Amino acid sequence: MPSSGGTRRSRTTDRGRAWFVAGFLAPATLLYAVFVVLPVCQAFQISLYRWRGISEQKTFVGLANFQRLAGDEVFRQALGHNLAFLLVGGAVTLGLAMAVAHAIHGNGRWARVIRGVYLFPQIISMVVVAVLWMFVYNPSFGILKASMQSLGLGRFAMDWLGTPGTALPAVLVTFVWHAVGFHIMLFSAGLRTIPAEVQEAATLDGADGMLRFRQVTLPMLFPVLRVAIVYMVIGALNVFALVYLMTVGGPDRRTEVMLTYLYEQAFKHSDFGYGTALAVANFAVVMALSGLAMLLLRRDPTEARA
Amino acid sequence: MRPHRWKRLLRDGLVMAALAAFALTVVLPLVWVFVTSLKSSPEVFRSPWSLPASPRWDNYARAWREAGIGQCALNSLLVTLGTLAILLPIGSMAAYIFARYPFRGSRTLFGAFLGGMTFPLFLTIVPLFFLLQALGLFDSLEGLTLVYVAYSLPFTVFVMTGFFQTLPQELVESAMIDGCGHIMAFWKVMLPLARPGLLVVGIFNAIGLWNEYPLALVLVVSDEIRTLPLGVANLMMTEHYQSDWGALFAGLVIVMGPVLAVYWAFRDRIHDTMVAGALKG
Repeated sequence: MPSSGGTRRSRTTDRGRAWFVAGFLAPATLLYAVFVVLPVCQAFQISLYRWRGISEQKTFVGLANFQRLAGDEVFRQALGHNLAFLLVGGAVTLGLAMAVAHAIHGNGRWARVIRGVYLFPQIISMVVVAVLWMFVYNPSFGILKASMQSLGLGRFAMDWLGTPGTALPAVLVTFVWHAVGFHIMLFSAGLRTIPAEVQEAATLDGADGMLRFRQVTLPMLFPVLRVAIVYMVIGALNVFALVYLMTVGGPDRRTEVMLTYLYEQAFKHSDFGYGTALAVANFAVVMALSGLAMLLLRRDPTEARA
Repeated sequence: MRPHRWKRLLRDGLVMAALAAFALTVVLPLVWVFVTSLKSSPEVFRSPWSLPASPRWDNYARAWREAGIGQCALNSLLVTLGTLAILLPIGSMAAYIFARYPFRGSRTLFGAFLGGMTFPLFLTIVPLFFLLQALGLFDSLEGLTLVYVAYSLPFTVFVMTGFFQTLPQELVESAMIDGCGHIMAFWKVMLPLARPGLLVVGIFNAIGLWNEYPLALVLVVSDEIRTLPLGVANLMMTEHYQSDWGALFAGLVIVMGPVLAVYWAFRDRIHDTMVAGALKG
């Protein structure tokens, strides 16, 4: 590396180098500091205030916002729904993604078709995903109702997003539809790193189908699975646009998630202190759960057996 | 061995049918959006699955002009291109330093940039709302653009740093022997070599910016500066009362069409960048 300390280097070129380094870093660092680092610090500060958005009414209340949060029934419900996104939506997404990635590993004709399209839901705007699925579920002319009618099941059709019992499952289906492509991508990349010889050796040893999947593929996919689970934790705890647009957290808060509740408190009720406390709590839950996932999956559980 | 072969054929057939069903589940709703964008509202109501009697391209004209989607598209284009015009140069400059000019503390600073990829966006949303007001940038395309630049920097710096590390150092050295300074060596030698990296980072960011919803929702209030996702979300609310479904679906196509076209043209490179970003980040 042509870095510092060369005896032939004159002082002026060293100083020139320092100016060059500083000058090249300055614009990006400045913007990042002002619009990202500063607001992150302010978030922790604001969460300790009662603040209705007018500076005169900003009062320091210590941890009062967090105490209120601990007893807030809506927050508990919202967190529960986020966990449903993680545990139900996440499990279905990862299972489906693993199955599809496994099936298209190789070079069939369908594999090529799937590889072209599986990222579509991931790359279109969440707004399009949400509106599209609202029309799937639309009670007067939705696709789902029309399809059920043509199958003779029309009398079971209902307002899925407007009915307390079915709203969350309906949003979860959309969540899976949107998220599965990203995870197919991860698992496909993981499968490509498994040497063909390993697969062949297992086949020669008589391991076929499920057995080969369990004993060879899954252990070798473990590092990717760990990454996928961490992404799923982050994604499921940060659902916003999907719920906000499809149900606004309703009916009767049955689909409320942490971030829609945050948005309501901060930007509908102008309760900025409490809204920010919700943001900090959301951040803490994301960090805690992704940390926990990393810790639990630190060691490959299949390794010990070998 | 015959029964064995039958079993295998049956299994392959089932797998293929399942994959076909999966592909249809992904593609059919998007095709349905496009088909519906060419139907009249009564047709949408009567039979959601049918094809339009005659394609109603005037849905697009109404969405574009009367529903204001044209203005939204222009705003989205301005914000997306404006963000890229600032982001790509300053992100590449920072990445070049991280890749080639290590100094005491550079790893820490690099880590601080990468940290931006891990925390949830909503942590900063309330402070950002007030920060932009204090700076006089609230509810403006300029403000939204600067925020987008800042929040796109982590990924951009991460990918471009990796890219600059792969370029041969000898080229810079020979350029500097030829009398180029550090700055000229960057603009004349390294940046042109980094064009493939810039292209893919640019496309990747452009898709994300074009689609972005939560930041715009909080930082923009005026009708005239709405971006496309805001415009379409708003159209959905208002069409509940006006029931011009054809125009709404035309709006959806205007949001997703360009993204799907760009994705299709660069799908292999986008795919590889996503994998690299996801697995190494």
